[in-house]
Amino acid sequence: MTFRLTCPVCGKRDIYEFTFGGQERGPRPEQEGLSAEEHFRWTQFRMIPCEPQEEWWYHAQGCGVWFRSTRDPGTNLEVEGAADE
Amino acid sequence: MSEAPPARGNPPPGRLPPGPTCQVDFSRPLDFTFLGRGVRGFAGDTVASALFGAGVRTFGRSLKYHRPRGLYSMEGESSNTFMAIDGVPNECAETTALRAGMSVRAQNVRGDPRTDFFGLIDPFDRLMPAGFYYRLFHRPYGFWPLFQNGLRRMAGTGVLDPQRDHVRDGLRAERYMNAEVAIVGGGAAGMSTALAAAESGLRVCLFERRPWLGGHLAWRVRDFEGQPLYRRAEALARRLRAAENVKVFTNSPVTGVWGENLVTGFTIGAEDDPFRECHWECRAKTVVVAAGCMDRPLVFNHNDRPGVMQAGAAWRLARTHAVRPGWAAVFSVADDLSLEAAVDLADLGVEVRGVADAREAGRQDPAVVAALEERGIPLLPGWAVSRAMGRRRVRACELRPLDGGGSSHFQCDLLVANGGMQPRIGVLASAKAKLSYCTHTHTYQPAELPPGVFAAGSMTGLRDPRSIEASGRLAGCRAADLAGGAASARRTDTARRDADALPGPVAGCDIRHGPGIGRGAKAFVDLDEDGTYKNVKESAAQGFDVPELAKRFGGFGLGPGQYRVTGQNLAMIMADLRGDPVETATPTTVRPPLAPPSLATLAGPGHDVHKRTPLHAEQAAQGAVFRRAGPWQRARYFSDDVTCRAEIRNVRNNVGILDSSPLGKFRIFGPDALNALQRVYISDMRKTRPGRCKYSAMCNDMGHLLDDGVIVEEGDNDYYFTTSSGRAGATVEWFRFHTRHDGWDYNLVNLTDVLGSLNIAGPNARKVLQRVTADDVSNEAFRYMACRRITVGDGVRARCLRLGFVGELSYELHVPSSYSRYLWDLLMEAGDDLGIQPFGLEAQYCLRAEKGHIIIGAESEARVTLTDIGMGWMWDRHDTASKKVGAPALRACEKQPGRMKLVGFRVDEGQGTPRDGALVVDGAEIVGYVCTTRRSEALGWQYGMALVRDGNAANGATLSLQEEQKPGERATFSATVTSPHFYDPKGTRLRA
Repeated sequence: MTFRLTCPVCGKRDIYEFTFGGQERGPRPEQEGLSAEEHFRWTQFRMIPCEPQEEWWYHAQGCGVWFRSTRDPGTNLEVEGAADE
Repeated sequence: MSEAPPARGNPPPGRLPPGPTCQVDFSRPLDFTFLGRGVRGFAGDTVASALFGAGVRTFGRSLKYHRPRGLYSMEGESSNTFMAIDGVPNECAETTALRAGMSVRAQNVRGDPRTDFFGLIDPFDRLMPAGFYYRLFHRPYGFWPLFQNGLRRMAGTGVLDPQRDHVRDGLRAERYMNAEVAIVGGGAAGMSTALAAAESGLRVCLFERRPWLGGHLAWRVRDFEGQPLYRRAEALARRLRAAENVKVFTNSPVTGVWGENLVTGFTIGAEDDPFRECHWECRAKTVVVAAGCMDRPLVFNHNDRPGVMQAGAAWRLARTHAVRPGWAAVFSVADDLSLEAAVDLADLGVEVRGVADAREAGRQDPAVVAALEERGIPLLPGWAVSRAMGRRRVRACELRPLDGGGSSHFQCDLLVANGGMQPRIGVLASAKAKLSYCTHTHTYQPAELPPGVFAAGSMTGLRDPRSIEASGRLAGCRAADLAGGAASARRTDTARRDADALPGPVAGCDIRHGPGIGRGAKAFVDLDEDGTYKNVKESAAQGFDVPELAKRFGGFGLGPGQYRVTGQNLAMIMADLRGDPVETATPTTVRPPLAPPSLATLAGPGHDVHKRTPLHAEQAAQGAVFRRAGPWQRARYFSDDVTCRAEIRNVRNNVGILDSSPLGKFRIFGPDALNALQRVYISDMRKTRPGRCKYSAMCNDMGHLLDDGVIVEEGDNDYYFTTSSGRAGATVEWFRFHTRHDGWDYNLVNLTDVLGSLNIAGPNARKVLQRVTADDVSNEAFRYMACRRITVGDGVRARCLRLGFVGELSYELHVPSSYSRYLWDLLMEAGDDLGIQPFGLEAQYCLRAEKGHIIIGAESEARVTLTDIGMGWMWDRHDTASKKVGAPALRACEKQPGRMKLVGFRVDEGQGTPRDGALVVDGAEIVGYVCTTRRSEALGWQYGMALVRDGNAANGATLSLQEEQKPGERATFSATVTSPHFYDPKGTRLRA
């Protein structure tokens, strides 16, 4: 399995250069009154949709930027025009 | 035939005179050994062609039944001719180029393959039905090892020599490429594709697995449009070599096509290549697959006897390698190309006694039928071979009409058999093309191609050379248009019209197997795994009646031949057994690698890529023994003594110097720098003060300790901090990840490689420092945990941190890397009479353990949190506003019972010495393990730290340690739980 991603700084690069940061789960929840259940749900629970999802990627072997990418895990391809920039 | 053969020397007896398509040079003999006996081959031979030319007919024995096996395909499609070459097992003799001095041995045999001892088991096949391995030998359970060992001895292929260094036996290279058009296959179609695509000015890469271009035209001498076919291929190859933007890779099998058209494969080094094998990956915009065809094996009784051969193999032996495939031949084939082979072999002096063609009369190419007639070769349309006869090799065969009736016997030593041609679908399948059964060509054809992938050439069913070239041209134009070449719709339209005007795919033959199959004889569907027609029937009867299930149950297609030999036949036979129409049959999934690269090639060139500190040479001069630590080569010892007693003693009594350059060093500044620190560090980072080192730690979301270090405030929202060496590379990623939603404004700079770091530690450390600086470094002016900028030597500004990791008075000096060597020399000279000596990582490891300072990963692990290892005091539990990473987890499991805790222990006197990793047991239960334990000279006893279940962690409790010091011998030790702060628990030496 191999594919490419578009880094907002460096452009389309090979997947070997990136590390995965998981699905977009929204900002870190407020900790005041946060139950353990809610915390673990936010950190651990992952959905595996077979449709485009928003993800975080880090250009580790490149410019070092974290960016969001909308990608379809079914085809491993980025979805055109869905970038939130 | 107009031919002016190049000088190729004189063939020895047994070989044919070299024709115009011969790749063997008889003027260059290559001597090698087979089973210890000397054999002569020639440049251009493969190992198999040289052996066959020298009279070898039995190349090995089969996996299960130990049947003799011979040369079958010349393309490496079965393990028949897998041999051990120069000690490397499972080398494919059919495709491995011969080199002088090779030592070749047969596999899975006792002694000579002609008289293999285990050959006796062949008649007992009834005891070995499909899946017998799984079904028979698991009861009674205790007997399994016995059966397993016995079977392992009798069955199998090559044996790996564990003594040999298989990785380093020649250079393994890697290459990464980009191309607009990648082409798989260098036959007429592939070359035409490349030429058409190259006209658009794009970068084109063409990969051909054979050492030369031309595909099946390369050995065909038949006249076509006024010139022999091989000349046609030569002309294309000449034009291709002249095209500047085409890179041609021969000897380069493709292993797969992956996402977004990444083509991978490897190149086998030729004599003048600097590598033995080179792995490559080519990122292509478009891929054109023109992989050609191969013979579809014919399943009939005893179809594995040496002497039974595919048409392509017999033909190439004669035409490419000038080896006589046999004296008297019988053909049982199903396509015109194989009929042409019969004519050609007859012209080369092979007596062709009969040709059976599974197709009915009238479906053959009239020109070839006429050629056969001209040579007096009887053609039997609608017939096929029903059995091969002869025990060790083919002596005769029996032909029968497919619709029943009489039979006809022929004496022969060569039986050329196939069920027509099948495309090499592997590359298309690995590119995720949808394949479906085509009832016209009776082959699997791409029904739907992935974006940017095209198919061309004979694999699409074309046979006319003009059609094949036109299909390549069309594919080349379409690929170039898609890849953004100088697109020309007209050019593509013309190519399409040309292709459409030429003959299309040729009708194929759907023969499943020879007549009278079974009948007390073995008919192999899969040669590698000894899978017979009977086994397929057994599989189906047991309910494993689709190819994917039968593959798992009976092993069909699991061997090196994979789908190539077995795939289509298994699917067709299975459809018949189920009573389904043949077009419903789906073959088993094709799995990469499509061609086997050696594991050494996948392991790579084995370069040891590492970093050296600025003080590498200085430490080496002091006798340092370097070991890998993360990306670094670091000094671990400074003597042969791995317990480092002298180094430890010198730090405790005088002063030691340590190169701590790999330490992570960072600056963070900007309006939100403090916010970012508050997020990732677990303590309250507002409490940093200028000139003071604050010790803190980072946790992950599960509350596990990730990293520790000190933070120094250098200005308003401007901080300098250190991380452990192992985390230096991940720190920037970590900070940015955990602040990614906040839009904070801060800059984080990794200074790890920019700054060198030196640590002087010991009672004399201050005296040494005073000699190199005019600044006041007295205990009053420069207290423990302080940080100052001082000037050392001739004006080098250094950050000086007074820390105490090893438990002694110590200073860490951070200077620009380029000053590290100057500083080292300065300190070594200044401390000369104070006993300064370098110490290494192992000494530091022991020194800090005596002090009870933990190292992440040594005394912490993925099951323990910050509070579990006794560092919960760092956590700012009241701060919820900064949303510290790890805080909710610490809160959740702070009071959880049954957690592991970090404890110190003292091993009771008068016992042996347990080692790191010893188990802590409570009765029969394992309740923890020893992280680190050493015998301390300073303390006079053996101390250690262990992670144990909280119930056993109370101070003063007795721990029972257990360790297997010799195999099978369990030693037990008792120890007492103490505080882990063994050495100088009050810290007076740090503050002295």
